Amino acid sequence: MHPKSKHSIKAVAFALFSSLTALPALAHDPVFGLGPHVLFKGGVEISPEIHTDKAGNNDTTELGLSLTYGITGDWAAGIEIPYIDKSNAAGSSSGQGDLTLFTKYRFWREDGPGVQQSMAVAFKLKTNTGDNDVSTNTTDGILGLTYGYEGRKWYRWSALRYRFNDKNNAGLQRGNKILFDLVGGIRLKQTGYKEPDTVWLIELNGESTQNTELNGVEQINSGGTEWFVSPGIFWTKRNFAIKAGMQIPVASNLNGNQQKTDYRAKLILEWHL
Amino acid sequence: MKKIIIHSFTGALLFFSLAHSAFSETTVYSIRVDGLACPYCAYGIEKKLNKLKGVKFIDMNLDKGIVTVEAYDKKLEDPQLKQLFQDSGFTYRSKQEKVK
Repeated sequence: MHPKSKHSIKAVAFALFSSLTALPALAHDPVFGLGPHVLFKGGVEISPEIHTDKAGNNDTTELGLSLTYGITGDWAAGIEIPYIDKSNAAGSSSGQGDLTLFTKYRFWREDGPGVQQSMAVAFKLKTNTGDNDVSTNTTDGILGLTYGYEGRKWYRWSALRYRFNDKNNAGLQRGNKILFDLVGGIRLKQTGYKEPDTVWLIELNGESTQNTELNGVEQINSGGTEWFVSPGIFWTKRNFAIKAGMQIPVASNLNGNQQKTDYRAKLILEWHL
Repeated sequence: MKKIIIHSFTGALLFFSLAHSAFSETTVYSIRVDGLACPYCAYGIEKKLNKLKGVKFIDMNLDKGIVTVEAYDKKLEDPQLKQLFQDSGFTYRSKQEKVK
């Protein structure tokens, strides 16, 4: 096989195994889903994270650094710089992933004693700026809508996201994706402001992906639906947070012959400055 | 002559320090805020209050929805507090003040 052809097959295979792109979680948002939290006006959030995904022979690890700025008390925007390491049957590759820009606007908020309910819209633009081997070589967008209820004891969120995927230069058009999240959380012990605080989370995350097309031809071994149950934890102390969670697949209906997700895991550190 | 200068200087110092004490005061504000569900999200309040000159953040009682601050020679007004809590992502309701 010509080395160039081999390279393009590898690129297509990596692109099919799309990057672990999601809208960044802010503050008390779910680990995998989307929540309506933003950042105080003038505040800066620094958030390094590691995200790993295993599906059969496909392994992806993504190290990311997000910087978020609070434009107003209800509007935040930021940038995310990922470093990606991928491997599958075709080989392995690593490098700087596609840089992403994101924004979230909380358009409704209802505050009560010890309770906050809110809704927000979010948008993320994944640019085509990463190294060829790990980039999808497309500019994609994710639009999300979310509702959240936060109390001193109970939390609940729901969210709907839609990912629009662009066609790359090789003629590969990854299928658009709908993501659905239902999340519950509990704070077993109500602690004081200066004390460490722990919230336990359980998420139900659904993903429905359309078929991929290569030069207009639908790829039968692509697209489908996957559902995950994702336990997680949110530990904070004043302006520092650790979030962690694992996505465990509970149901999948993938088209054709595809590797099912074995698990996904995420660890996020966050500082509010 | 030297004694007169020393006594005058000491007297002036005493006068100014007493006058300063008489005109300056520390006020403790108990501010009622809605939306205080989690400590991490409330950090912006502490940061914004500490940025105000003469204001010191003391604590937050999340269960009661009360933010306590000390203000030295400073009057905290409702519009200012409303804006501050809005920028922090919460809702200002009312305040109680007590001169220390």
